[in-house]
Amino acid sequence: MEMINIVNLHKSYDQLEVIKGIDLEIKSGEVVCIIGPSGSGKSTVLRCINRLETPTSGHIIVDGKDIMDPETDINHVRTEAGMVFQQFNLFPHMTVLDNVTLGPLKVRKMSKTDADELGRSLLKKVGLADKEKNYPEQLSGGQKQRVAIARSLSLQPKVILFDEPTSALDPELVGEVLEVMKQLAKEGMTMVVVTHEMGFARDVADRVIFIDQGVIQEDNAPEAFFSSPKNKRLQDFLGKVAEH
Amino acid sequence: MEFQFDWPVFFETIPMLMRGLKFTIIIALGGLGVGFFLGAFFGLMKLARHAVPRTLAIIYIEAIRGTPMLVQAMFLYYGLPMALGLRIPPLTAGIIIIAVNSGAYIAEIVRGSVQSIDPGQIEAGRSIGLTRGQTMLYITWPQAFKRMIPPLGNQFIISLKDTSLLMVIGVGELLRTGQEIVAVSYKAFEVYLAVAVVYLAMTLSIAQGLRMLENHLEMKTKR
Repeated sequence: MEMINIVNLHKSYDQLEVIKGIDLEIKSGEVVCIIGPSGSGKSTVLRCINRLETPTSGHIIVDGKDIMDPETDINHVRTEAGMVFQQFNLFPHMTVLDNVTLGPLKVRKMSKTDADELGRSLLKKVGLADKEKNYPEQLSGGQKQRVAIARSLSLQPKVILFDEPTSALDPELVGEVLEVMKQLAKEGMTMVVVTHEMGFARDVADRVIFIDQGVIQEDNAPEAFFSSPKNKRLQDFLGKVAEH
Repeated sequence: MEFQFDWPVFFETIPMLMRGLKFTIIIALGGLGVGFFLGAFFGLMKLARHAVPRTLAIIYIEAIRGTPMLVQAMFLYYGLPMALGLRIPPLTAGIIIIAVNSGAYIAEIVRGSVQSIDPGQIEAGRSIGLTRGQTMLYITWPQAFKRMIPPLGNQFIISLKDTSLLMVIGVGELLRTGQEIVAVSYKAFEVYLAVAVVYLAMTLSIAQGLRMLENHLEMKTKR
């Protein structure tokens, strides 16, 4: 069953066209990693899926609902497609637990007791059960991103969109976040991950996609993607990444 | 003639000023209370997506900031009754003027503070399915409010001092009470100094209160 279907997506900022016609299907339970040079449009594609960016044209169907259809309740779509940001974007004025329970309380209208119970179970899942009363400021980057993952799970979404979730982290903190993401993948969560973590893409992804110059240049299983890339731009890109 | 500071007059004046002080406080609290709501309302209107509310907010803010408060007071108290045929009591007029005047400045404080919040916060709110209004209420506003406190404190102090201008429309506030005492005692130096000391005591208290409020809010996120 397909979870996300992107059809002929275009996105322009004034005269500048950044997405030049992208088609992409993502099946339920699939983990898709999107890689590409900065400015290639990969984050834009991700942010179009829950309409944080409004596509210029095309269609994006998320769990059967076209986000371009004016009849679609975009707030509902966003509860089905959680998002994790590069800069975490935790709410600094709320405790860790309140960050995670805000959605259940205000969007799902859950009772405080139920929301707290759900929030605690999610914090336990990301290994931060003991931090519920802390404020985001008191956490390390890795801990913050794990709270953000718990928050994105709080509405029990069908898919999670990760926008470079480890790019703002100190190198030694990347592992703990990737570990949580691996666990989610194992549990069958549908995940779309914009990332520079080639190791993660190779080990965890079902498919890896290379976006450059606003189009998909290659879409393949990780093994073939990394060991025998067909696209010339991808070969160059992997060559440059490997040098480091 | 040699000037001699008359301490007894100075000390006797202070309790006599309390009647005026009462009006000053009523006008400042009432005016700023209403002014805060006006400011929040027009400040958010200036951030609206549609041009009509935005333009209305700009007209209000520019008209008030661009004219002296003294002129606004004279216009409301002496000018407007000519057109409307009804006279507004001085105290009510005073509260309206402080409210409308401070509201324009507070609107800019509110707009600036709301705009200073990281757009990523709003995206995070929307990404968990909150509506625009819920995102403002639970995420943007509480963070923006914290940033508003220092400039709001400034505005409170300015508006408190501005209540002295209301003596021109016959409000029996602090300065006018002082003036009345001078009229019978001729001790202008002692009396106006006493008036100044009372204003200073109030503005320093506000400044201190704000510092404590800021520290309290700061502590809350650093427990």
